[in-house]
Amino acid sequence: MWRATFKSLLAKKLRLVLTAVSVVLGVGFVAGTYVLTDTMNAAFDQLFAQTSEASDVVVRSVSAFDPSVAEGGGGGGGEDRKPVPESLLDDVLAVPGVAAAAGDVQGYAQMVDPATDEVIGGVGPPTIGTNWNELADQVLEIREGSPPTGSDDVVIDAATARASNLAVGDRIRILFQGPPREFTISGIAGFGDADNLGGATLAVFETETAQEVLDKQGVYDAISVVAEEGVSATQLRASVAEALPERVEAVTSTSVADEQSKALQEGLGFFRTALLVFAFVALFVGSFIIFNTFSIIVAQRTRELALLRALGASRRQVIVSVVVEAFVVGLVASVLGILAGIGIAVGLQGLLGLFNIDLPSTALQLLPRTIVVSMVVGVVVTVAASILPARRAGTVAPIQALREADDAPPSRSLAGRRLAVAVAVTALGAAALLYGLFGAESNGASIVGLGAAVTFIGVAMLSPLAAKPIAGALGAPLRRLSVQGRLGRENAMRSPRRTASTAAALMIGLGLVSMVAILAASLKASFDAALTETLKADYTLSTSSFTSFSPDVADRVAALPEVATVSPFRQNGFRVDGSTSFVTAVDPETVEEVATLDVSEGSVSSLAEGRNVVLVHRDVAAEHGWSLGDEVPAEFASTGDVPLTIGGIYDENRLVGDYVISLETYDELYTEHLDSFVLVRGADGVPLDQVADAVTAAAAEFPNVQVQDQAAFREQQAGFIDQLLGLVTALLAMAILIALFGIVNTLGLSIYERTRELGLLRAVGMSRVQVKRMIRWESVIIAVFGAVLGVVIGVLFGWALQQALQDDGVSEFVVPVGQLVTYLVLAGLAGVLAAIWPARRAAKLDVLEAIAYE
Amino acid sequence: MSATTPTIATAARAVTLRKVYGEGDAAVEALRGVTIEFAKGEFTAIMGPSGSGKSTLLHCIAGLDAPTEGNVFIGDVDLTGLSEKQLTALRRDKVGFVFQAFNLVPTLTAAENITLPLDIAGRDVQRAWLDEVVDTIGLRDRLGHRPSQLSGGQQQRVAAARALVSRPEIVFADEPTGNLDSRSGAELLGFLREAVTTYGQTIVMVTHDASAASYSDRVVFLGDGLVVDEMREPTAERVLDRLKSLES
Repeated sequence: MWRATFKSLLAKKLRLVLTAVSVVLGVGFVAGTYVLTDTMNAAFDQLFAQTSEASDVVVRSVSAFDPSVAEGGGGGGGEDRKPVPESLLDDVLAVPGVAAAAGDVQGYAQMVDPATDEVIGGVGPPTIGTNWNELADQVLEIREGSPPTGSDDVVIDAATARASNLAVGDRIRILFQGPPREFTISGIAGFGDADNLGGATLAVFETETAQEVLDKQGVYDAISVVAEEGVSATQLRASVAEALPERVEAVTSTSVADEQSKALQEGLGFFRTALLVFAFVALFVGSFIIFNTFSIIVAQRTRELALLRALGASRRQVIVSVVVEAFVVGLVASVLGILAGIGIAVGLQGLLGLFNIDLPSTALQLLPRTIVVSMVVGVVVTVAASILPARRAGTVAPIQALREADDAPPSRSLAGRRLAVAVAVTALGAAALLYGLFGAESNGASIVGLGAAVTFIGVAMLSPLAAKPIAGALGAPLRRLSVQGRLGRENAMRSPRRTASTAAALMIGLGLVSMVAILAASLKASFDAALTETLKADYTLSTSSFTSFSPDVADRVAALPEVATVSPFRQNGFRVDGSTSFVTAVDPETVEEVATLDVSEGSVSSLAEGRNVVLVHRDVAAEHGWSLGDEVPAEFASTGDVPLTIGGIYDENRLVGDYVISLETYDELYTEHLDSFVLVRGADGVPLDQVADAVTAAAAEFPNVQVQDQAAFREQQAGFIDQLLGLVTALLAMAILIALFGIVNTLGLSIYERTRELGLLRAVGMSRVQVKRMIRWESVIIAVFGAVLGVVIGVLFGWALQQALQDDGVSEFVVPVGQLVTYLVLAGLAGVLAAIWPARRAAKLDVLEAIAYE
Repeated sequence: MSATTPTIATAARAVTLRKVYGEGDAAVEALRGVTIEFAKGEFTAIMGPSGSGKSTLLHCIAGLDAPTEGNVFIGDVDLTGLSEKQLTALRRDKVGFVFQAFNLVPTLTAAENITLPLDIAGRDVQRAWLDEVVDTIGLRDRLGHRPSQLSGGQQQRVAAARALVSRPEIVFADEPTGNLDSRSGAELLGFLREAVTTYGQTIVMVTHDASAASYSDRVVFLGDGLVVDEMREPTAERVLDRLKSLES
C-alpha cells in the first residue's frame, strides 16, 4: 500500500510540482514574514546594544509611558521625556564610582542635500541631531575629518555622506525646530562597521551648538555615566540614583537597550501580524487549490483506486493513501516554501522600499521558530485540504475497476442537503462578519477575518450552482464566434464543481482587492467631503511624509503682508483612562478662521481662558458621560497625570480628531514643539497666486514643507490612499498568483483527462492554434467567473466595512466602477496567461497516441 | 517522385511505404515497402493478423503518422514534406475519420459533432447534403442529444455522418464496428456501403472481422508489413478461408 502511494507520487512528478507550488508560495509568504521581521529585530537589537556599550548607566527624567517607537514623531527620539538641568552633570560626576559622565542632547535635525535642495531622510527612520561629548567616540568612529569643535562644524553619518555624495569641507543646510542653519562638514562618522543607525540620519554638533540648535539651552536630554573599574553597572546605578532629584532616574545602559528593543518588538509585532494576515490569505487560497487538485486526481484515479480496493485494500487504506500523498506534498512544499521565504523576505523588503519604507538590515535571520511554524502550517493546510477528497476516494467501489472509465467525471449537482449546508455556512460567515464589524466589543478584527473566510468558503460551496449559468452567459458571445470558443465554453461548464472551486481561489483574491479599492475610493470621497466642509483655509503647509516641521515656518509666513491668518496645528499621543488617544493643539484665536469645528457647547475661546482646557468631540463626551466643566483624566509621557477641564464640545472631528487643546498647553505638556500642519488664509484683496508665491518664498528654506491649495492637498491625500491601496494590492498579489497557478493546475489535469477528445479534434482537422484558442477561452471564462464572484463579494464587503467605519470618518460609499471593470479585464488577461502552458501542452499532444486504444 | 504521375481515378495511394518504430536493436519494421492504390468510389477493407501493419498503414495514408520511407498521395497531393499545419488542413478538408471508439466530442450535440470539421474549417454547411446524410443514418430525432445519451451504434453512425458531411476525398474507418454488437455493426456497415454505392464516396476500412469485410468491394490482406493478397467482391466465407491460409 505504501509502495503504491509513493510510486503514484513519483510517477506524477509534474502533478506533485504543480500542487506544491500553491503551498510553496503560501508557506514562503509566512516564512518570509518571519525572516523579514526577525532580521529587522536583530538589526535593531544589534544597534541598541552597540549604542548602549558606550556607558554603564543613563540618567534621565522619568516617563509616564513605556518608550514606544510608534510615537516617535519627527523629532528623532522615542519616548517623550523632559530634559534634565545641565548642573546635574556635576552632581553625577561627584558620585563615588563614576569614572566619567557626559551630557547627551538629542533632537530633530534634518539635512538638506545641497545638490538637489531636497531634504534627506525623514520617511520612516528618524533624522537625529545630537552632540559630540566625551563619550561619543565610544559609539561613533570618525572615518574622515575630525569631530566638531566649533559652532560651524557638523559630523554626519557615512550612509548620508555616501548617498548624497557629501565630503569633508562641504557646506550643508540643516533644518531644526528653530530656524535652519548652515554648517561645514568637519567629519564623517560610522558605527563600527555600520554606516548609519538603522536608516536614521545623524548630524553631530559640538555640545553647546547642539543645545542651541536643538532648543536645549542649559539642559541635557540624558547623562551617560561610565563606572570606574571594579564597579558594576548595577552598583553604579544605585549610587547615582541617590544623588538625583525627583522625577529623574538612573537606569543601566543594558536595560535601556532592552527597553528599546522591547518597544521595537511591539511595533514590529504589529507589522508582522499585518503581513501574516496576507500570508494566511495566500495559504487560504492555496488550500482551495490543493482541495481542487486532490479532488481531480481522485476522480482520475478512480480505476486505480478501485483496483487497489478489488485487490483487498481497505477503505481506510485508500483514504490514508491519499492523505499520505498530501502529507508528502505538504512536507516537500513546506521545505521549498521556507527557502522561497528567504527570497520573499528580500522581495518584501524591496517592495516596502518602493513605498518609501526603508528598513535596517543585517544578515537574514532564519530562526528555528520560523522553520517549525512554516512546516506545521504548510503540512496542516495541505493535509486538511485533502481530507474531503480522500474521503471521496474511500467511497470508490471495487467494481469501478471493471467499468470503462467515463471520459468526464459525473458532475453531481448540488443536492438539497449540500445546498442547505452551503447556505448555512455562507449565512454563518456573513453573520460573524457583521457581528465583528458592528457588534463585537473586542477581537472585532479577528471575528471579521474569520467571518470573511467562512463567507468565502460558503460562497465557494454555493458557486457550483452559479458556475454553469454564469460561465454559460460569459461564454455566450463565444458560441457564435467559433467552434473553439463554443468548445471552450462547454468545457468550462462541463464540470461546474471543478470550475467553481478553481474560480473560488481567484474570487478570494479579487474579493479582497475589490473591497480595498472600494474602501480607498470611499476614503478619498469622505476626505474630500471633510475638506470641503471643514477647511476654510486657502493654503495648507505640511510635509509630504506628514512628519512635523519647524514652527519657524509659521512665524515666517505670519510676517507676510499678503497673509491674513496663519494657524498652526500640532498633534501627539496621550492617554485617557489608560488607552492611547490623539490630541490636536490649535491656536484658539485663529483656528475658527481656517477650520470648522461646529462647537455646540462652550467655546473655542475657553482654550485661551484657562490652563489645561480641552475641547472634546460630542461622541467621545457622550461615550464617557462627560459634560461641560468635567475633567478628562489625561496622562502625558513627560508630565504624567494632568487632568484637563472640558471647555467645549464640538461636532466636527474630521480635521482635528477627538480632543483639542491650545498650543500653549501643548508646549507645557510636550517637550517637542513642532507643527504637524499649518493653515493659511490670504489677506483680503490680495490675489491668491500672489499669496501662494509669497508663502512659498517664505518657506523656501524648508524644502520638506509643501505649500498646497485645497485641490493639491486633496490630491496629495488621494495619493497617500492610492499608495496604501497599491501596497495592499501588491501584498494580495500573492494570493492572486496562487489562484492563477490553480487555473494552470486544473487546466493541466483536465487536458490530461481529455487526451482522447483532444486527439479526436486534432484528427478531424483542428489545428494547434485552434486547440490553444479553445483552452484559452476555457481559462478566460474560469478566470472571469472567479473575478465576477470576487467583485460582487468585494462590493458587499466594502459596503459593510464602510458602514462600520462611518463613525470614524468614512462617510461616503463609492464604488470605483472603472477600476473594478479593469480588474475583470485583467482577470481575463490573467486567464490567457494561465492558459499558456496547458494550451501548449494540449497542442503538442501526439494525435496517434491520443487516439490509440488501450 | 515525378515518375509516378497521379491518375484521375485514384483517391489515395501509397508507394513503397516503409515504417520503422524504434532504433537500433529495438527497431521494429511495421511496414516493409507497401505499394497500394485506392480507386475513387471504391470501398476497400484492409485485413490481416494483429501486428501485420494494417493500422500503421491506415495512419500513414491518413496523414496521422509519418512514414519512414516512401510516399503517400491523397488525391494528387503528396503528403511527404507537408508541414504539420498543412497535414492538419488536409485531414480537415480531404479526409474523414471513423474510429473504433471515442469518436465524438462529449460536450457537443450529435448535430454539432456532425458539422465539427466544417465548423473547424469555418466553412458553411450545405443544408441539403446535411439533411440527406442525417436521413440516411436515421438519427434526425436525436440530433440535439449529447453522445452520452446515444447508444454505441448511434454514436458510430453520428461519427460516420461526420466523416461524410464535408464530402472528403476519402474516409478512413479504423475497426468501426469493433465495439458494436452485430446488429448495430451491420447497420453501420450498411450505411457505409450506401455512401459508396449511392454517393460514390471512397472508403478505406481496417477490420479483423470477415463479415465486416464482406461489405467492401475489395479486400487487401496484409502480412508482416507487406501486401500479401487481394480479393475482389469478397464474401465472409472466402475472406475467412483466405485468412486461415495466410495464418498457417
